[in-house]
Amino acid sequence: MIHAVLIFNTSGVSRLIKFYTTPQKSPQLLVEKIFSLVSSRSQALCNFLDAPELDSFLNHPSMAGERLQIIYRNYATLYFVFVVDSSESELGILDLIQVFVESLDRAFENVCELDLVFNFDEAHHILSEVVQGGVVLETSVDEIQTAIEQASQARQKSFSSSNPLALGSGNKISRNAVIQTPLGWLAGRFGATGLR
Amino acid sequence: MATNMRGLTQFIADIRGARVRELEEKRINKEMANIRKKFKDGNLDGYQKKKYVAKIIFTYILGYKVDVGHMEAVNLISSPKYSEKQIGYLAVTLLMHENSDLLRLVVNSIRKDLDENNEVNNCLALHAIANVGSNEMAEALAEDVHRLLISPTSQNFVRKKAALTLLRMYRKHPDVIPAAEWALRIVSIMDDADLGVVVSVTSLIMALAQDHLEAYAVCYQKSIDRLHRLVVDHEYTAQYAYYRVPSPWLQVKLFRLLQYYPPTEDPTLRSVINNVIQTVMNNSMETSRNVQHNNAQNAVLFEAIALAIHLDTNSSLVTNAAVLLARFISSKETNVRYLGLDTMAHLAGRTESLDAIKKHQTTIIQSLRDKDISVRRRALDLLFSMCDLDNSELIVGELLRYLKVADYALREEMVLKIAILTEKYATSYKWYVDTILELIAAAGDHVGEEVWYRVIQIVTNTMDLQAYAARVTLEYLKTPTAHESLVKVGGYVLGEYGHLIANEPGSSPIEQFQVLHTKSQFCLAATRALLLSTYIKWVNVFPEIKHHLLNVFDRYRHVLDVDLQQRACEYYALASRPEDDELLQNVCEEIPPFPPRESALVHRLNRKLGDTESKRTWVHGGKEANLERELTQRKKILPAEPASRTTTGSADVGNVMDSLAGLDLTSSSNGAAAATDPSSIFAQLSKPINPTAPRLTTGPNIDRWFEKLTTSADGVLYEDVQVQIGIKSRYQGHLGQIAIYVGNKVPVPLTSFTAVVHVSDPDTLLASFAKLPPSTIAPRAQTQLLLQVECKKFFSALPSITISFLAGAQQSVTLQLPILVTKFFEHVSLGAADFFERWKLIGGPPRESQLVFPITLTEEGGLDQERYRQVVSGHRLNLLDGVDPNPNNLVGAGILHTSVDGKVGCLLRFEPNRDAQMCRITVRSTSEDVATEVQKLISRALSRAPS
Repeated sequence: MIHAVLIFNTSGVSRLIKFYTTPQKSPQLLVEKIFSLVSSRSQALCNFLDAPELDSFLNHPSMAGERLQIIYRNYATLYFVFVVDSSESELGILDLIQVFVESLDRAFENVCELDLVFNFDEAHHILSEVVQGGVVLETSVDEIQTAIEQASQARQKSFSSSNPLALGSGNKISRNAVIQTPLGWLAGRFGATGLR
Repeated sequence: MATNMRGLTQFIADIRGARVRELEEKRINKEMANIRKKFKDGNLDGYQKKKYVAKIIFTYILGYKVDVGHMEAVNLISSPKYSEKQIGYLAVTLLMHENSDLLRLVVNSIRKDLDENNEVNNCLALHAIANVGSNEMAEALAEDVHRLLISPTSQNFVRKKAALTLLRMYRKHPDVIPAAEWALRIVSIMDDADLGVVVSVTSLIMALAQDHLEAYAVCYQKSIDRLHRLVVDHEYTAQYAYYRVPSPWLQVKLFRLLQYYPPTEDPTLRSVINNVIQTVMNNSMETSRNVQHNNAQNAVLFEAIALAIHLDTNSSLVTNAAVLLARFISSKETNVRYLGLDTMAHLAGRTESLDAIKKHQTTIIQSLRDKDISVRRRALDLLFSMCDLDNSELIVGELLRYLKVADYALREEMVLKIAILTEKYATSYKWYVDTILELIAAAGDHVGEEVWYRVIQIVTNTMDLQAYAARVTLEYLKTPTAHESLVKVGGYVLGEYGHLIANEPGSSPIEQFQVLHTKSQFCLAATRALLLSTYIKWVNVFPEIKHHLLNVFDRYRHVLDVDLQQRACEYYALASRPEDDELLQNVCEEIPPFPPRESALVHRLNRKLGDTESKRTWVHGGKEANLERELTQRKKILPAEPASRTTTGSADVGNVMDSLAGLDLTSSSNGAAAATDPSSIFAQLSKPINPTAPRLTTGPNIDRWFEKLTTSADGVLYEDVQVQIGIKSRYQGHLGQIAIYVGNKVPVPLTSFTAVVHVSDPDTLLASFAKLPPSTIAPRAQTQLLLQVECKKFFSALPSITISFLAGAQQSVTLQLPILVTKFFEHVSLGAADFFERWKLIGGPPRESQLVFPITLTEEGGLDQERYRQVVSGHRLNLLDGVDPNPNNLVGAGILHTSVDGKVGCLLRFEPNRDAQMCRITVRSTSEDVATEVQKLISRALSRAPS
């Protein structure tokens, strides 16, 4: 299982923190700890690191003795770190980090650190399409992109509905349609009112 | 998107602009105060709430503790606007954990979103449960989530999220998921066309199957089929090829799932999976320049090798894998070296012969000096696993040498491992004591109490060792920097056995005393107390230094530590008694040997590494360690095992533990003898889990069809509105081929088609499909499953087949297969004389089985000779005419062919009596079981009213 996903930059400032098991201590301390472990490692070393140091942070009584491992990858100014237990394949997680980064890249077109800062919610939404509850959800970048687009469509619709100039209630989203034609939109709207 | 909220963007920009941490904190505190005030005033519209909650989330991500906004997040979830809902859910999943009281408030909103006919909202709700799902949520919502998973109208992206949500619920609260009941339905999703769904559902099945191996046994076949389609047939959609490797995650998961089950014995499954593994290994030969491609390929490869090791360590696959691994451990890529060592440790933990690994011993030892600590750790694990009697001195020596320069993080574990290896593979007492003392001297601070306790235990229990131990300990104590643990060992050993070496130069009582006593001032109170006990023992055996010792006691009578003081007083009094007093002698009797007990070290190491909830399919350490672990796990999973078997199992474990615990050097091959009877453990382990056959489908027609098939080779086995199942069979000797035709009668395809044969005892009858059944049957089409059976010994329990498929809903039928023991009979011709000679030779009971029962006559009131003949010859006995003097009687003979027990002859005599409307059937056979069974089968068939 994946216990945590962290992104921080090369000076140790966290850009995304997501825990799938409730941390026992302050998340910031954990980030600092992992940063100190990871940042001292040179590029040539491997991407895996046993982390008995983290036991006190993430270990629950229920998973006593679980061996935690840090799997990380460095992209430009950012470290992508996954804290996992022994049920995950090391290289598999490494690939997953790549998928996550590629998905971010698609969504933000040439993702950079600033994108993650200003669009932290979007970054979380993308992560939630890749990993759910500590388990790999989707690994195809195309599928992830579709899901993200679908969500942003829904958001735009609700956004335009909050705009007084927009027509209709907008919270009724027709199924299937990814791109809505005005006609389809109208039909959906009539259908929706018809239901009430 | 966050940028839609200007206030938020400004806030982020402000924080980024803060030059020092203090300014940043100030800005955040200001903002939080503002938000608190706004929330308190209330009267906020959705947009404002959303904006403030987003600011709170951002603050949280920066690592600050936030304690406001939980209630507002809960409100946002029930907002009709998706953008507000989404932020609300994000806040709930980030800011709350499963025990938050506030979660109770969102259960209803979540249920509403789950039930809504709107996939994006479904997804938000599922995602929230998967992240923070509490017990209450699991109880309230498990059904809804399951419905979303199996409903045919659910979109794929909803189903895959539902699968993972169920997984979370199951992990947190297993009682709410009727795992066994849902098994077939959930496993059938593994055949889904969407690989994204398959990945998720496989994760779910991995968790469920671990606890319900039998209920989920079908997933074994499904996994192999899926792997074959991915790897060999290249059947996958383009978006699931990751750098030209077909969904490495799915492959990794499937390979791992297969390792949860004991190796299959089905030859067809075996050959398919071997083919898959071989293909994966061949693929890895061509490395490309693309890092991602190599990564993905290796991820699959390492898992495939792990499965190959799990299936059979002696296979040619594993031999090839060992060659690959050898190349990996000297690779330039650190990741590859790391995983190579890790997998090799797996191999070492399983294999019968370590020769293939020992060839690379030098490389592995060099890896202890790799520049990466991760690699060093793996090398350490591997050395620990590959150690045996032959190389123990070398490996332990290397480890000791490395210990002195090893990272602090590694030392404690290393010390334990060295101590265990030394004990387990000791070649001589001398070596054992030398090594352990060197270990304590080299890494004193990292030596746990267990290590030196164990030395004492072993020295006390081994007479031959005592003098030597005393001598060596004294030598170590003479070095200026002896560690406190060493002083403790010295105190104990010299106190007990110091007198054994008192006559040797340099070890006179006074010298022993001086060496030990100079150390005492640097030691803790507990150690000093131990030394005082040593001194009182010496008073008894070394009267010549009594006054020195009395001196010490006298001085300690005035120390502040109560324990020390009391001891000193008591010892002083004891030592001051007159010379001829026997009390002192009695008090200082030699310590009796310790009762043999399990080494606390292994315990400690296991606790340290953790038995990882069967997540990992193997542990570090030798073969026995793995066997033992599997056994305990198996017991955990199969509580219903017959008691007798469990007790023998635990007795074996006990033996293993005992022999590990005692350093038994009486036999020179101690380490190897550790597992007293590994074969018996193996026998238990290698027994594959046979899914207990589900309840048979019943119906009047089913019985009728079955009866017909008992005496004929072809016919219908089952039919309903959707399917028709027919059988054609052919037997020769102990082998049989049964073609099972399954016809789809409806105009839609039957998907997720599964056929499983249940055999109650594979030692008597083997049945396996010649190839894997297809997973779909096209509309109005027929598929043929070829079943191969082999009769190994006599059997009476019939095999059954379960066929399940999806046609709208999950359908499943379980039917008995008409594979009777009589199907393996072959004709034999005998003349009258021969027949009766054999008849007499076999003799009466118990090798004869007889029954008298009523018969019905034909409508004309005569004997139904035609039917009698048909039944007897249908059971493949040769009707011998003209043998019996009474023409109404039937006489038959046949030979049962079995591959293990050979041939068994069987003779039959059937005597109907028209007037009494009764008949007598007599079967004689060289095997009692065969006689009884044939009598039963034929009399049952005959007594039934003609159809």
